[in-house]
Amino acid sequence: MVLPKFEYKKAKNVADAIALYKGRKGKAVYLAGGTDLIPLIKQRLSTPSAVIDLKGIDELRSVTSKDGWVEIGANVTLFELKNNPVVRNNFPALYESLEATACETLQMRGTIGGNILQETRCLEHNQSLEWRTARGFCLRSGGKECNVVKGSKICFANYCSDNAPALVTLGAEAKLTGPEGTRTIKLSTLFTGDALRPFAVNAGEILTHIRVPAKKTKGAYEKLRVRESMDYPLVGVAVSATGAGAKICVGGVGLKPRMYELKNAGIEAGIKEILDKASTDAKPVANAVLSPAYRKKMVGVLIKRAVKRTIGEGK
Amino acid sequence: MMKTTRVSFEINNEKVSLDVRPYETLLETLRERLNLTGAKEACGMGSCGACTVVMNGVPVRSCLVLTPEAEGTVIATVEGLRQDGKLHPLQQAFMEKGAVQCGFCTSGMIMTAKALLDRNKKPTKKDIIKTISSNICRCTGYKKIIEAVEDAAKKANG
Repeated sequence: MVLPKFEYKKAKNVADAIALYKGRKGKAVYLAGGTDLIPLIKQRLSTPSAVIDLKGIDELRSVTSKDGWVEIGANVTLFELKNNPVVRNNFPALYESLEATACETLQMRGTIGGNILQETRCLEHNQSLEWRTARGFCLRSGGKECNVVKGSKICFANYCSDNAPALVTLGAEAKLTGPEGTRTIKLSTLFTGDALRPFAVNAGEILTHIRVPAKKTKGAYEKLRVRESMDYPLVGVAVSATGAGAKICVGGVGLKPRMYELKNAGIEAGIKEILDKASTDAKPVANAVLSPAYRKKMVGVLIKRAVKRTIGEGK
Repeated sequence: MMKTTRVSFEINNEKVSLDVRPYETLLETLRERLNLTGAKEACGMGSCGACTVVMNGVPVRSCLVLTPEAEGTVIATVEGLRQDGKLHPLQQAFMEKGAVQCGFCTSGMIMTAKALLDRNKKPTKKDIIKTISSNICRCTGYKKIIEAVEDAAKKANG
């Protein structure tokens, strides 16, 4: 598939990238690994006048530990992060989520920043311009209603990052730098639940770092997918535990990951309450390759599996 | 017509400098400007791996790489594997083990496997399966491909 016309600019540092962005009057997009962005541009789902490449910014390429935090540069590839001993030893949920993301070759290109800021997905949306034109545009592509839930004025696309739910359970924070300066927010507040603007990222802002409290955790990531070798999650469940409590985050269904807290990971009743709540909250629709009923059922199944593995009560 | 941009990189041990469109993919540059048609376009969306080449030692989907991103890099394609008229051990093994049927995925498979053997001299069968599952083959069922990579790794280690 041929790409439409756009300019290519390579940023030397964060300030340079923001200056390049400002010069393009909101019509530029930032490029990291390109594994999400380039297909979107090919399908005309993103139509930038300029692409600003962030890969040359070395300061975003390292993982450092300081002041009780592990700080991960947004340009660190998923493969590098997966093989980082700190991640492997302390954040099993994140490690397993990285292992479950796409395939090895794409892990070597895709970055952690790009994985978090990937666009939400839907069978009616992630299609070529020709396909969408023939079908009739959905709400998100500029149509009058959702093509999946007829008559609906809201979008039901799925947020398909494997890594973001894992990072949310770890209490991660996101560091953003933009024309207005630098700010740090809880990663869980990055997601708006609005399909047209899924991330609380202002125009021109760059996700520069993700920081995770440097505490050893137990955890697991469970993923429902059709192809083991390479697929987006149809449901993804991350669990991280420190001491008695555990945090559970469900992704892959709906516009943003949802987090639940289990006060004592050993208590059966606590899990049941969360299972009920998470299943009620998950409202899958027929916009992925498996049926909504099955995906809804699997939310509970995957939570059970992930919690069991985390607290070591078998497989 | 948008301005072209000058890009220089090393490909199969040869330095090249080209004027390309800023929105041109590396796959288009390889196939249409350099006549290196080993890398194939199948899905064009980064799913299948038929366009895999090795850039700075890392396998990449060339359909997802903008050619300007390749500035200053060292690229290897399947055409550059043969040395002094002798096939690369991977190419030889793919032939001998019957790992090629329609052949469309082959160059991508070989380049993905080459990057693996370059970074891991003694991959286990599990390592090979994990790496090869980045690429889609719809003919062979992978068995012969895995055998071929195992064989090439064994021969490379003497």
